[in-house]
Formats: sequence, structure tokens, C-alpha cells
Amino acid sequence: MPAPTTTLLIEGTFEELVEELATYIDNLKKAHGDEDSNIQAECTALLAENKKDDVLKKLVTGSATLNEAPEKEFIAAYNLLVHLTRQSPNLNMFLPRVCQNLSAPVRSSPANGAGLALSILSTVFNTLQPDNDNRYHVFLAILSVVRRSANFETLRPQLKHLDQWLAAWDMDEEDQRKLYLAIVEVATVAGEEEHAYQYLVRALRTIPSDELSTPESQQLSLRALKSALTHPTHFDFQDLTALDTIQALRNSHPIYFQLLEIFTADLLDDFNDFKDEHDGWIEEQELDADALNRKMRLLTLASIAASTGQTRSLPYAHIAKALQIPSSDVEMWVIDVIRAGLVEGKLSQLTQTFLIHRSTYRVFGENQWREVASRLDMWRNSLVGVLQVIQMEKASFIQMKDAENKEIEAKLNGATSGRAGGFSRLRKEEPELE
Amino acid sequence: MGDTESFLHLARPLGPAPVGAQPSTAPLSVVIQPQAVFSILDHSLRRPADQDRVIGTLLGTRTEDGTEVEIRNCYAVPHTETAEQVEVDMDYQKQMLALHLRANPREVLVGWYATSSELNTFSALIQNFYSQQGDGTFPHPAVHLTVSTVPGKDIEARTYISAPIGVTAERAADSCLFIPVPHELKYGEAEKSGLELISGAKDREDRSQGILTDIEALERAVQHVLDMLERVSNYVNNVLDEEATPSSALGQFLMNALSLAPKVDPQDIERDFNNHIQDVLVVSYLANTIRTQIDLSNRLATAALTMGTGDPLGGAAGDGERKEGGGGRGRGGRGRGGGNRGDRNNNRDRESEQ
Repeated sequence: MPAPTTTLLIEGTFEELVEELATYIDNLKKAHGDEDSNIQAECTALLAENKKDDVLKKLVTGSATLNEAPEKEFIAAYNLLVHLTRQSPNLNMFLPRVCQNLSAPVRSSPANGAGLALSILSTVFNTLQPDNDNRYHVFLAILSVVRRSANFETLRPQLKHLDQWLAAWDMDEEDQRKLYLAIVEVATVAGEEEHAYQYLVRALRTIPSDELSTPESQQLSLRALKSALTHPTHFDFQDLTALDTIQALRNSHPIYFQLLEIFTADLLDDFNDFKDEHDGWIEEQELDADALNRKMRLLTLASIAASTGQTRSLPYAHIAKALQIPSSDVEMWVIDVIRAGLVEGKLSQLTQTFLIHRSTYRVFGENQWREVASRLDMWRNSLVGVLQVIQMEKASFIQMKDAENKEIEAKLNGATSGRAGGFSRLRKEEPELE
Repeated sequence: MGDTESFLHLARPLGPAPVGAQPSTAPLSVVIQPQAVFSILDHSLRRPADQDRVIGTLLGTRTEDGTEVEIRNCYAVPHTETAEQVEVDMDYQKQMLALHLRANPREVLVGWYATSSELNTFSALIQNFYSQQGDGTFPHPAVHLTVSTVPGKDIEARTYISAPIGVTAERAADSCLFIPVPHELKYGEAEKSGLELISGAKDREDRSQGILTDIEALERAVQHVLDMLERVSNYVNNVLDEEATPSSALGQFLMNALSLAPKVDPQDIERDFNNHIQDVLVVSYLANTIRTQIDLSNRLATAALTMGTGDPLGGAAGDGERKEGGGGRGRGGRGRGGGNRGDRNNNRDRESEQ
């Protein structure tokens, strides 16, 4: 059962409501110095001719003034307008204008203006049918308001429905990309680099294969690549390398691609070689060299931790050598890697080794899948063992209970047969007496 | 009750702010405790035959800034609805609310429920009644919970708050805009397993369900985990046989989950295990000792009582018993107990002599 879309509940005929709203707008305009506004009279005239759409056009045009309305009346007045426009069969005609008006700042309420506008926009959004693609345009208007007010926190919980919406609206890839990029903008303004990056990658996925080498897609790819490389907590580059648009960079920007490959799978030594080979390139591209170095060290440590195999321990000296750091700094680096979530383990100062519980594999290949399979088997086998023990215990418990029941029964039988019962009780008391 | 509807909730209507705080339009979310839902469903089952829906009051808690409302409790409010008018027993509502608040001072009025998904102008009227100043939830918006109770269909719950609509006061009084807000049904582990047990009875003819013993529950849980492992290893095998497309994120997740066992040397395990066994033995030894003590003192107490009843005769009888107590001392294993019994009787004798 779909949710009811008629959530605007108001009594009164179209004519009455139009009249009220027109009067309200007129008063508002007069209060702000526009003396010759007379929407009400115009509306009455048009209503007499039964031109509802023209009436609505007048109202929607006049509704720009509603941004001046006192904040307490703003929502009520706008809701009425939304209700009226919904009566028209040509609803789509008015929506762009309403959205535009709402995207403008609400002058009467500098503190809560964005909240008020968002509240109305979400009402417009909710009252449209879920598969109506006008929702898309309303959502873009919402994004622009959110962006201006840097209010990403309110938007974030709603974004999880995005895929569902896009599917319902049946958008083509161009529009999807536009939407994703709008979200990227909003997230960037709000300083949410990680979210911005996620939606950037999604936008890249919408680029069709025949547009891979257009300047636009190259620019987007480079942007995604740069933010992935310099982001302090982003360590997984596999999603990037899997993208066709990024693969297209191999030809257009080979140096960038080389760098990406190094960050995907190689170690610090390779990175140093790269730096020697392309001296000054990193500074030229305005990449943060310190951040790259640091990240490469963390990734290198994760790699060598993952390659320890069954021993699952790393001597300090080995770490120091791989990361090219003095051995006194080893512990700090290990702690940094653990904090980054790449490795889990314990440091043993006594034996100068790092015992690894868990490590992240930068490239998840067949060997890793095999390992997963074998560990699953191990777990299952031990559980089967546990289950057997439980079942055995259960069976013996039931047996014991049966035996007990039988004993009680036997005793009861004995008690009814009189003397024998007395005798057995006597025998039972004997050891106590001795 | 799936959260499949697509709506957007970004801001609540600007309400009058509590004293000392900025008015805010921060979005709102609702948490529903299952006991409230059960009570609503029960009410719906007992409704008069000629009424499509019944209503009631929701009680619960609200965070200070009003962004999170928790529905904990509810009670029914009688009302009648015809095509033209709706009547709600307001006196009853006020009385019940006052009584409820006396019993549960921490809960406040948060809104009302109706047992149908439909919203109509009567809903608007009732909503305005619940959110009014004075008896209502003012300055916070009242929450309206609709629970659909169509037989044979899934139960759907929806939550709304309201915003004013209309530019004149008369118009605003009997109309409102319902804004859908996200809600969540929250229940604890204990409630969940209890409900699972109860729902096990729904497919049975006699509507009864035996209660699992601990060991059966454990067995079932192990079986459950085994099934899940089976599913996962099917997937992994498919990946290895190149029948399914590998997802490295999933693989990494599995690897992380499977590596949760900490790395420990076998010798360490053995040593720790032995230490632990010793601890357990000591505990069990102490427990046995204590049990013996309790047993002993129980016996002594009852023994004293049975013998104490023979006491009214006075000192002579006491002397006789003392002898018996003394004799008890010589009887080996139970000597000490006998001795004590004797001593206690002595005390009692002395008391009765004084």
C-alpha cells in the first residue's frame, strides 16, 4: 500500500482559498511599499471566466513576495499555495517557478530561512508521486538550498534513498551525473571530503564508454584521482582502478596513472623511484608531497604485514627498513597504521616484534579468496564438532532423565506395595545411624 | 514494517521555541517501542464493529531539543465518526492523561494514533486538538502514528508531524499539512527472542509453543551459524570457480571478520588454560565447603527446634539432653555437629534458668 500523497488537508473551495491567498499577498506587497498590487481583483476576474491556470499563474508570480512574509506565517501561506497548485492539471508548469522562488533567500528570517525553504521544498517533493520525474528538479533545488546553507548533516540521512529514487524517476545518465555532481558540490562546501569522493566516483560510473576521453570526463577522473590520493583516510584504490574512465587516463595522463598503480599495489621503494624519475612533478601538479609520503608509508606497512603469512609477526628491524625510518619511530608508525584501520595487532617491546591479528590486503586476489575459503572451512568444522558435543550431551541428559523417572516410578510402585517400601526406607536410614 | 516509502524529511516546521533556546528547524525522528504497537493492534481488534478506525493517545519521551521522540506507551480514547462530524471524548482523554502521568511521571504526551493509513480532514482536526496550546503537545509538534490494520495484509506504520496551512486563522484551525517523518521500531535482544518464540506458535493448530531449554537454544544457534557459513562458503567457492564475480570489498570484509581471533601462541593457551582450570577447581572446592556449612547449619537449626520444644519441663530435661549431646561427640564423623548442638542447648538452658 503506497503512502497517501494527499497530506494537505484543508477545507474550502478553490475559489475561497484563492481569494484568501490573493488578499494575503496583496497586503504583504502593500506593507513592503508596492501600493498598486491588486492580484485579488485580477484573480476574481479570471475566476469568473473559469481560467484556473491563469489564476494560478498570477498567484505563483506574486508568490515571490512570500519570501518577505513573517517566519511564523511563511509555512502556512506557502502550504496553501502548494495545495492550490496541486489542483491544477498542469502542475508541472508552476513547479520550476516555485522552486526558483524558494531557492532565493528568505528575507524575513535570516536565521531559519534555509530551514523554512527546505520544509516547503520537501513538502512539494513528498506530494509528488514517487515516480514523477519532477521530483528530480525539486531535489536539485533542495540541493542548491542545502549548499547555500552548508547544511549537509540534514541531507545525509536521506541520501540512502537516492538509488531507489533515481530508479523510480528513470533518469538518463547525463541527469544522474548532474545530480551526483551537485551532491559532490554540497559535500565539498560542507567539508565532507569522503562523501564528496564517493559521489564523484558514482558520477564517473555514469559516463558512457564512448565519452571516456572527452575533456569533461578526464577532468572529473583527475579530480577523483587527486582527492583519493591526498585524502588522509582513504586507502582503497581498487574502486578507482576498476573504473573505465580512470583506465582511459592511461593514455592521456600516463604519469598520473603510474602514480595510481604505485598506490594501488607497490611499496615505498617504487614510490621513491617514481619521484626520482619525475623530479619536481608532484610539486608541479600541486599535490601535497608530505601527505603522499605518509600515505605511502602506511600502505607499505599494510602490505608487508599482509605478506607475513602464517607467522603473523614482523620484527621491528624489518619495518624500519621497509619504511626507511629510524627504528625508534617504528612504534609510532605502527600505531598510525592501526589507527588508520589497515592492520590490527599488538606490539611486543620485549621481543621487538609486531604480532598481527588482522591485516588489509591492498589487492584482493585469488590467493586471498582461497584463504577466506579455508578459514571458513575451519570454522565450520569446529562448529560441527561443537554441535556433536551438544547433541551428545543432550542425548545423555535425556537418558539420565528417563532413568531418573523410572527410578521414581519404581519407588512409587514399591511404596504402594506396603512392607517392601518400609524396608527400603529402613535400609536407607541405616548408614546415617552408624 | 519496511521503510520502503520514498519521502524526504529535511526540516520540521518552525515552531515556537522553548524559553532560552533558538527556534530550530532541525529534522525529527521517531522511535517506536513494540509494546505501544501491540497495544494499538489490540485496541484495533476490540474496536466496535461499525467503526473503521479507532484512535488513542501516545505517550513517551522527547529529547530536550525535540529532535527525537520515543513512543513508549499508549491508551485508547473513545471517539465516534460519521460522515459529517467527529466526536472525541476530551474529558476522558484529560482524565486518562492525568492518571497516566501520575503513574509514569517521566512520560509526556507526544501525540496520537489511528488504526488506518488514511488521512482525512477529521485527522487534521484531531491533530490540531493534540498539538494545541494548553492540553496538547505545544510547543512541540504532535506526532501522528497510523497503523494499518487491514486483515490479511502486512501491518504498515507511518509517522507524521503537522504544519499549519492557510492564511487566515479560521482556515488554519480545521486544516493542516501532514509531514511524513522517518520512524524506527526498536526492540531489545530479549524482546526479539521472546517475540520469535511467540511467533513460532502462529503456524500451529493448537497455538502453543514449547519453551526451549538453554541447550536447545544453543544447538539451534549453532545450527543457524552453520547455515550462514554454508551460504558464505558457497559464494566463496563460486568465486574460486569463477562463477560469481568477486567483490573485493566483500572479500576484505570476510577476511576481517575471520581474522577476529587474536593471534596467540599454543603454549600460551595451554598455560592460561591450566591456570584457569586451577582457578575453577579452587572455586568449586570453596563452593562445596560452603554448601556443607549451610547444610550443617540447617540441620542444626531444625534439630535445635525439635529438641527445644521438649524444653518447658525445665533444667532437668536440659541436663539429659546435654548428656546426649556429649555422647554425640564420641560418635565420630558427626561429633563436632553434636558438640555444637550440646553447647547451644546449654545456652538455652541457661536462659530458661535465668
